[in-house]
Amino acid sequence: MTDGVSSSLALRLGAFALFAVFFQIGVVSELPVFGVNADITSLLVAFVGLMCGSSIGAVCGFAVGLLVDMALLQTLGLTSLVFTLIGYWCGRLRELRDPQGAFTPLLVGAGASAVALVGYSLMEFMLGVDAPVSFELLREIVFGVIVNTIVALPMWALTRRVLEGALPEDPRRRRRRRSYTTGGLSPLMKP
Amino acid sequence: MYDKTVRRRRAVLALLVVLSLLLLTAYFGEAPNGRLHAVQRDFLTVVSPIQDGANKALKPVRDLFGWFGATLHAKGQRNELLKQVSRLRQELVADEAEKRISHQALALFHIDELGVDDYHPVTASVVGQTPNIWYSRVNIDKGESAGIRVNDPVINDEGLVGRVTAVVADGAQVDLITDSSMGVSARIGSSQATGLLQPKVGDPGDLALQYLAASAPANVGEYVVTSGTVSNEASLYPPGLLIGQVTSVNEETGFKSVNVHPAANLQELDVVQVLTAGAGTRPENLSRLAASLPSAQTSGAAGEQLASTQVGE
Repeated sequence: MTDGVSSSLALRLGAFALFAVFFQIGVVSELPVFGVNADITSLLVAFVGLMCGSSIGAVCGFAVGLLVDMALLQTLGLTSLVFTLIGYWCGRLRELRDPQGAFTPLLVGAGASAVALVGYSLMEFMLGVDAPVSFELLREIVFGVIVNTIVALPMWALTRRVLEGALPEDPRRRRRRRSYTTGGLSPLMKP
Repeated sequence: MYDKTVRRRRAVLALLVVLSLLLLTAYFGEAPNGRLHAVQRDFLTVVSPIQDGANKALKPVRDLFGWFGATLHAKGQRNELLKQVSRLRQELVADEAEKRISHQALALFHIDELGVDDYHPVTASVVGQTPNIWYSRVNIDKGESAGIRVNDPVINDEGLVGRVTAVVADGAQVDLITDSSMGVSARIGSSQATGLLQPKVGDPGDLALQYLAASAPANVGEYVVTSGTVSNEASLYPPGLLIGQVTSVNEETGFKSVNVHPAANLQELDVVQVLTAGAGTRPENLSRLAASLPSAQTSGAAGEQLASTQVGE
């Protein structure tokens, strides 16, 4: 379980989340690709969950969602709810499977984006927002997932770089520990 | 130990979900001037300067990425525009005579002087944009302190952009014309018939001008402009502001509707103008008078407005 939050991690997470939200609103949302915009905030939440565990992922999701809703005057609590679940599930994925494959960020990014887009749409439908339901919505979701998958790798690298060293259980440390153990069993070390 | 961790994890999730649902329920149930809405507006007041600063600092990044997209897009637009220029050149010759007559008529009412500058335009930069299909909104860096109020029309150098829906001291939110909450009274440039322009169902990037009289003339390529009136009352939008171009005409029982492509590129807004002349002001009174005139007479004023809708930096 990776639930310990150091002040360094909290500080880095807060600053990075704030930067990501403003970067999303001010830059990424104004750069359409294939007619849709990438959503780095959902990727951020997913990757924080994947690196820090379910509890931190959920808290980060709630905070980032609330920030997005506040800054864009959207229905308060909507993005928070969707992002909380994304952060939690990605954290659980780490806790249960701890995937280390090279494609993990891509798959997690695609999955998180799909959940965010579909979840957001479902919530809007349930709230009765008067918006067109159509092929265009499906296209938006599919292209949104594709664009987010493309952005996932650099976003993963950036998130990892920002949080590196402050993570509850640093993967580098774990690798080092493993190699020390292996070294101790080497026949060359015997007297 | 394990049980304790599991319980704590589940408690955190349950707490956050319940908190989100409570916020959602309270926000959705309260009036627009309720407490949570007020907190949101206060938050916008605080972050507006930050958004403005971040927008300026990140502009080079946006421009760099935008350059690639714009180059590809420009290539596609070039051929289309060449055809359009050829057609418009012919139309211009035909319109010159009509324009002269219209100007003479409008001069009688002193409406010929009316341009966008008379609506006290306030130039503002777009500092934020919603990233999803559900809301078509942007945040701008000017607010109450610059004279901007709720419901003020917003334009750019290409045409009508939307209207102000929330305002704080140094920032405001603008609902774009493609937002599902929007409806604009509009008419086809050459016609007297007015209709209601709303986002097109099935394609929120486009618009549909609905409830036109079945006999109203409508042709592909014609311009759609604001009518300036709603049921003989002054509209929020001055008459003659360019909205878009007719892309197809649908014949329906009793009514006609046309599909309209917005003139303004709403996905890449950078600088906009908010028309802050309110009710009772001279331009508002003149525009109401202009709107009450037959369309042939107002076309000159409309043309002037379109020509003078140039956004200054």
